Amino acid sequence: MTRSVRLAARQALLEQRSFWRSAEYALFTFVFPLMILLLIGAANVGSRLPGTDIKNTTVFVPGILAFGVIVAAYVNLGSKVAVLRHDGVLKRIRTTPLPSAAYFGGLLASTVATAILITACTGLIGWLAFGAGPRAGGLPTLAGGLVLGIVCFATLGLAISSVITSAESAGPVAYATFLPIAIISGVFDPTFSGLPAWLSHTVAAFPVKALAQVLQNAYAVRPFPAWDLLNLALWTAAGTAFTAWRFRWHT
Amino acid sequence: MTDNFAVQVRGLRMSFGSTEVLHGVDFDVRYGEVFCLLGPNGAGKTTTLEILEGFRPPMAGTVRVLGLDPAAQPGRLRERAGMVLQECGFPRQARVGELIEIWRRYYRNPRPLADLLEVVELTGVRNTQVRRLSAGQRRRLDFALALAGDPDIVFLDEPTTGFDPEARLRCWAAIENLRGLGKTILLTTHYLDEAERLADRIAILRAGRIELCGTTQEVAARAGLATRISFITPPAVRLGQVAPPDGIDMAARGPLSICHTPNAAMTLRQLLGWALENRLGDLDGLTVTAPSLEDTYLQLTGAAPNGGQS
Repeated sequence: MTRSVRLAARQALLEQRSFWRSAEYALFTFVFPLMILLLIGAANVGSRLPGTDIKNTTVFVPGILAFGVIVAAYVNLGSKVAVLRHDGVLKRIRTTPLPSAAYFGGLLASTVATAILITACTGLIGWLAFGAGPRAGGLPTLAGGLVLGIVCFATLGLAISSVITSAESAGPVAYATFLPIAIISGVFDPTFSGLPAWLSHTVAAFPVKALAQVLQNAYAVRPFPAWDLLNLALWTAAGTAFTAWRFRWHT
Repeated sequence: MTDNFAVQVRGLRMSFGSTEVLHGVDFDVRYGEVFCLLGPNGAGKTTTLEILEGFRPPMAGTVRVLGLDPAAQPGRLRERAGMVLQECGFPRQARVGELIEIWRRYYRNPRPLADLLEVVELTGVRNTQVRRLSAGQRRRLDFALALAGDPDIVFLDEPTTGFDPEARLRCWAAIENLRGLGKTILLTTHYLDEAERLADRIAILRAGRIELCGTTQEVAARAGLATRISFITPPAVRLGQVAPPDGIDMAARGPLSICHTPNAAMTLRQLLGWALENRLGDLDGLTVTAPSLEDTYLQLTGAAPNGGQS
C-alpha cells in the first residue's frame, strides 16, 4: 500500500515535470482562463446583478475558477490519457508490475496539483484586480466544491479519453464537448439570461453550471447548493462507470 | 510440466472469431538461450508472444513461462519478465535517464541505472528528451526499460523491423549484451540473417504451426537439405582427359564443379580419393557449405525461385 502511494507520488512528479517542460502547453492551460478572467472581468467592474446589490465580479470570478478546474481536470487529463493511449504508453505501462491504481493515482495527483495552481492564480488575481474574494465562512464550501469538482471532471476526462480515437483530435474533442456548455451556462457572463426554458433546464443538468454555482456560493450568499452537489456526485458516478466500462490500454 | 525450461508451450491454439491462427503450437525455450520464432508476417508470431506475455488467454493448450501460467499470474510474471512490444511509444517530454529511473522503481529488484545505460549504449544521451532520439536509439531505450527490473527472461517482438543497417547492428550488439548477462531471450523476427546471427535455437512458425525447431544446422538438416561441395574444375577434367568421379552427381557451373550430398564426409572422402588417383592435387578452391537457414526457410515457405516444395 505505502509502496503504491510512493510510486504514485513519483509518477505525479514526473508528470508535473513533463507538463512544465512543454512550455506552450502549460502556458496555454494557465493563460486561457486568466485572460478571460481579466478581459471579461474588466467589462464587469462596478456592475451589479440586476435587482440585487451583488457585484457582478463576485459571481464571475468563481465562474472562472470553475472554468480553470475544468480545463485542468477534464481537458488536460482527458486529452493526456487519449494521447498516452494513442502513443502506446499505456500499453507499455501494462508490461510492468506497476499497479494500475498507482499509475492513475499519479496522473490524478498531478492533475489535482495543476488544478489547484490554476485556482490559486485565478482566485488571487480576481481578488487583487476586482476585489472579489470568498465571503466570510465560505472557505469550507470553496474547498469542498473544488475537491468534488476536480474529482468529477477528472473522471469525466478519463471517460471522454475512451471515445477519442486519435492524438490529433484529443484537444479539440475535449474543448468542443465543454466550451459550448460553459458558454450557455453563463460562466463567462454573470448576467447571461434569455435562454428558452428547455435549453436552460438542459444546461442545468450538466455539471459545468453546477460546479460554478457551488463555487459562487462560497463568494456570495446564496441558498445552500444541495442540488448542485448532488449533480456533481451523479456525474462523478457516471464518469467512473463509463470509464470502467470503456477503458482500454491500447487503441 | 517441469521447471527445467524457461518457456514451455504445448498444444497452443488461438482463434480470432472463427479464424484459427495458431493450430497447436509446441516448443520449449531453455534457460539462458536466445530462442527465435522465425516466420513470415501473419504466421502468428506476435499472437504467440502476446499469450506468453499474459496479454491474451489461449483458447487451448498449456503455456508456462518461468514456471508461471501467464494468463493466471500476470503480475508475478511481469516482475520477472521484460517485454519489448512491436510498436510502443514513450511519454513525449520525458528524458532518457529520468524515464529509465522511474521504470526501475516499478520493480522490486532493479538493475543500476548506469549499468542499464551502458548495456544499451545510451549513456551519452541520458539527458536527452526521448522525442529527439533516432529510431535505433528508441529501440535500445525499449531494451533498457525491459531490462530495468533485471528480468530472467526478455521478450523481443521484431526488434529491428524497419531499421537501417547501422541501427540494426547496434541493436544486435545490445541483444548480444543481454545474452552476455545470462538472460533468456525469446525474439520474433522475419529476418533470416537476424535469426541466424542471434539465435541459439530457431523455431520456424508458418501459418500457425511450428514447421521445424532446433539449431540453425539442425533445422537445415531436418528440412532435408543437402550440403554443397564445390571446387575449381581441374583443367584435366575440363579437357576430358579425366572422367568425373563415379557415383557422385557433379554439375559444372562456370569454373566450378558442384555437387550436393546428404553425407558430406563420405562424399569428400570419395572426391579426394578420386583426385589422388588421377593426380589432380588437393582440388583448388575446395569449399564445403552447410545448408543455410535461408535455403531452409525459402524451401519451407515456398518462396524459393526454384526447388520450392510447398
